[in-house]
Amino acid sequence: MNMMEEAASQLERDHVHSVYDKIAPYFNDSRYKAWPKVQQFLLDLQPGSIVADIGCGNGKYLHINKEVFKMGCDVCRPLVDFAWSQGHEVQMCDGLHLPYRDGCFDAVLSIAVIHHLSTKERRIRAIKEMARTLRVGGRIMIYVWAMEQKRRKFEKQDIFVPWNPNPQSPTHREPAKPRKRATAQSVSEAIGNADKHRKVRSTSSVADEEELTTPHCTTPQQSTQRLWFFSRSLDSVFDFGSLSISRSSSRDLSTLSSPAGENERNKSSHWGRGRGLIKQVSSFFSPTSVIGSEEDVFDSVTNLHKGQNAPGGNNNGPENQSVSVSLAQECGSLALPDLVPFQKEHLKQSSDESEGGLQGKEQHESTKSSQGSERQVEGSCLRYYHVFREGELAELIENHVDELLVKHTYFDHANWCVVAEKVQICKI
Amino acid sequence: MKLLTHNMLTSHVKGVTKGYPLLIKATEVKVNEVEFNPQFVSRMIPKLEWSALVQAADELGHRQDLPVELVPEYEKNEEFLKKVHRVLLEVEVIEGCLRCPESGREFPISRGIPNMLLNDDEV
Repeated sequence: MNMMEEAASQLERDHVHSVYDKIAPYFNDSRYKAWPKVQQFLLDLQPGSIVADIGCGNGKYLHINKEVFKMGCDVCRPLVDFAWSQGHEVQMCDGLHLPYRDGCFDAVLSIAVIHHLSTKERRIRAIKEMARTLRVGGRIMIYVWAMEQKRRKFEKQDIFVPWNPNPQSPTHREPAKPRKRATAQSVSEAIGNADKHRKVRSTSSVADEEELTTPHCTTPQQSTQRLWFFSRSLDSVFDFGSLSISRSSSRDLSTLSSPAGENERNKSSHWGRGRGLIKQVSSFFSPTSVIGSEEDVFDSVTNLHKGQNAPGGNNNGPENQSVSVSLAQECGSLALPDLVPFQKEHLKQSSDESEGGLQGKEQHESTKSSQGSERQVEGSCLRYYHVFREGELAELIENHVDELLVKHTYFDHANWCVVAEKVQICKI
Repeated sequence: MKLLTHNMLTSHVKGVTKGYPLLIKATEVKVNEVEFNPQFVSRMIPKLEWSALVQAADELGHRQDLPVELVPEYEKNEEFLKKVHRVLLEVEVIEGCLRCPESGREFPISRGIPNMLLNDDEV
């Protein structure tokens, strides 16, 4: 596995897989949303179709349309276990390596999944894998978070989103139900029950989380749901020719161990572990909340780099890489300072332009928040997302996945959506 | 894991070209009662690798008198469809493993769920 693959893999392990493992128990309370268009897609299938939900989570779509045979898969064991307990056929596997034979499915779902893949190449591979398992004429429906949201636009495409359980009911779990398989009645009963009890909070959309909050709310937990952290995409991190750092306010580095003392020997182990490859994080604030000085924590990365960075051009030898990576690892493993809600509006951004040079257009307003307050947001509960621009998903398919033909694209509840059909490729 | 599912599963270990069908070693098998829908079964049949289904049923000791070859005009043959229904949807592997016929790699099945995740060196 090359370095980028390794880093991508590690990032997803830390900020997708392990987070879902932790938060899986919370998926089965509170409101559930089956996106109606996904539901319709399933209901429109020919009876006797075989459908796969790739990245099925707790299986919330697997009960729809009993005329078709559905199976689901996911990397998250607790979620898959839950789906099984509801009577569904599910497997553990990862989207880049699907254990299904070619052309065996009539339809495939990928609902809020591939936005968790941290490089463009991996996202393409995932789509191609799903296309491989589709029969010619079969259709795939893909949903990904949109950069353009109802009330705001994400500033960057690669973000980390903190998880906060519903403050009202963290343990509102339904008592474990007996498995809904096994009897003739239970097939339809299971479906009926599933509809009734399916109060899973859909975390597949920012819109859901938005709906939980009200403007000018002051509850810390609600407001923290509106916070996102931005990162450079791994694609740009590994674009050695364009590494550049933004200028931000400096911050004391006492909380970070200095990489200066680290020697070359550690470099490969750092790459190997690749933990927390967050090159730079900046934050975006909703009107009702603000992040304290988390940004500054990560600014240290940039400050240390300043002296070594030649403006523009290819300026990074392996040494720089190891410095920044090891710093980033330190950042990644730090518990982030608490997110303190504010009433007034704060906006903080630092951007890094990949066109070289040290550009920043941040306005850093000092805040009252500080590190080391009691309520710590665990860095480990940040989920990584690559949010998609309008047209990006369709373009990805059109330019890189010949075997799929885009049939529909639309915006649905804060997601960009594509329906595509598997076509025969004639190789001459 | 039902045998309908098994019929779609293949070994995807790097370098393997003949990873299908996966051999089943079951330590716990259940038979459930599932509502019979003849049209559903009839439509499933063309999507199956028939011989893989027969082999799998055999491995589980549940083949009964399922024929080696598809009978002609099975769409109207309710007795036949019922046999297929049973094998496809009612027989379930709860514990065991799936073995790649080429590499020998075993994918565990536990609590009804096959774990098809590959290790880093297998991708």
